[in-house]
Amino acid sequence: MPAVFTVDPRSGVPIYLQLIEQVKRSVALGVLAPGEQLPTVKQLAVDLTVNPNTVARAYRDLEHDAVIETAPGRGSFVRADGVAKQTRAATDVAGEAVTQAVREAKSLGLPAAGVRELFESALTRWFPEEK
Amino acid sequence: MSTISIERLSKSYGKFLAVDDVTIEIPTGSVFGLLGPNGAGKTTTFKCLLGLARATSGVIRFDGHELTPSLFESISYVPERSVLYEWMNGAEHLEMQRRTFKRYDSKRAKQLMDLFKLDPRKSVRAMSKGMRTALAIVMAFAINPETLVLDEPTSGLDPVNQRAVLNLIIESAAQGATIVLSSHQIGQVERAADHLAVLQNGRVILAGAVDDLKSDRKIVEGIFPSETIALDGLRRDSRIERLDQSGRILRLTVKADGGGLAETLSSMGAQSVRIVDLNLEDIFLNAVAPGSQTADVVEAG
Repeated sequence: MPAVFTVDPRSGVPIYLQLIEQVKRSVALGVLAPGEQLPTVKQLAVDLTVNPNTVARAYRDLEHDAVIETAPGRGSFVRADGVAKQTRAATDVAGEAVTQAVREAKSLGLPAAGVRELFESALTRWFPEEK
Repeated sequence: MSTISIERLSKSYGKFLAVDDVTIEIPTGSVFGLLGPNGAGKTTTFKCLLGLARATSGVIRFDGHELTPSLFESISYVPERSVLYEWMNGAEHLEMQRRTFKRYDSKRAKQLMDLFKLDPRKSVRAMSKGMRTALAIVMAFAINPETLVLDEPTSGLDPVNQRAVLNLIIESAAQGATIVLSSHQIGQVERAADHLAVLQNGRVILAGAVDDLKSDRKIVEGIFPSETIALDGLRRDSRIERLDQSGRILRLTVKADGGGLAETLSSMGAQSVRIVDLNLEDIFLNAVAPGSQTADVVEAG
C-alpha cells in the first residue's frame, strides 16, 4: 500500500470528503496506479482511527465517480480504464484548489481584474512553453 | 446486531427531570456519540437504555424488541464510575466475565490485557485510575459484544491508551457492532463517531450524522465599508441560524453551503467575504451556548 492517507478530524471538512480528495489526488498523480488495490474499509478505518462507515461512504462516492471499483469479496481497486479517468480526477482536484484560491483572493478584497492578473502571471510562470 | 431506538424517553428523580422527552435512533453498526455538559442526562439515558433505571415514560427497543434478559449476553456496559472490586485482581475479574458470558473469548482477553500492559495478578486496590479504566475496557471487549455502551470510556487514560480504545471501538464497529459512547472530549467523538446527539438539560438539542452536521453549517463573514449594514433582508432568510454584527464585520452562521449568502453579502457591498468551515467543537458550542463561545463549556462536559 504505497499511498498514505491522512485526515484531520478537527477540520470542518467532513472526513469522507478529505478521503475522496486524497484518493483522487493519488490517482491523478499516479501514486495509485490503475488496477491497484486499496486497503479494505476496516483496515483504513483502523489505520486512520476514523469511523468505518465514513471510509465506506468515501469508497461509495469514489465508485460512483468511477475512480475506483469494488469486486465483492476481493476488495476495491483503482479503475483500470486509463488516462481519461485520471485526467478527470485531476480536473476535480485542481478545480477545487483553483476555487479555493479565487475565494481566498476575493476575501482579501481583490477585484476580479486583480485576480485575473494574478492568475495570468501564475500561468505564465508555470506554463512558459505555451506563451 | 441491533438498531437501538429510544422513543420519547423521560426520567425524573422526584421533581428533577433528568431526561426530558428524548428520541434517538442508533443505527446498527454505527458509533454513536452522546455529547453534552455535565448533568445533561447522558448517564441517565444509558441507565434507562440498559434497564438499570426505570424510565418514567417512553420506550427503548433493540431491533424492535424491548430489552430482554437474553439480550444482556451480547451487551457490554462500561459505566462512568468503576464497578471493579477492590480486593480482586485482573485475572479474577476476567474469570467472573468468563462465568457470566457464554461469548467470553479468553484469547481475546489475553491480547487485550497485553495491549494495555495490565498485570493480571495486580489487585484493583493497587491500580491507578487509568489501569482501572483499561481493565473495565478489557472486560467489555473480551466478550466480543454486539452492542457496547461506553460512558466516558477513556477517562484517566494516557493518549496512547486513549487511541488504543478508539481503535478497539473502530474495529468492533467494522465487524458490525453498535457502539454508543459518551465523552466530553469532542476530538474523540469527531474521529470515531458517525452519528451524534447533544444533550442539554435532559433534552436533545442537536442530532444527526457527523458529516452532515459539518457540511450543513458554515460561517459567512463579510467586512463592510461602514457600520451601517442593511440587515432587514437577512433577518428573514431561513438559511441563517445566527447573525452577529460587530462594527463593520458581519458574521452569519448558516445552514447551507454558504456560497449563496457569500454572493448576497458581496451584492450588499461587502468589501471582503469569506466562508469558514465549522468544526464539531464550533457546532457543539453553538448548540449548548449560543452566543457565548467559551472553552470551559466543553471542559465542563
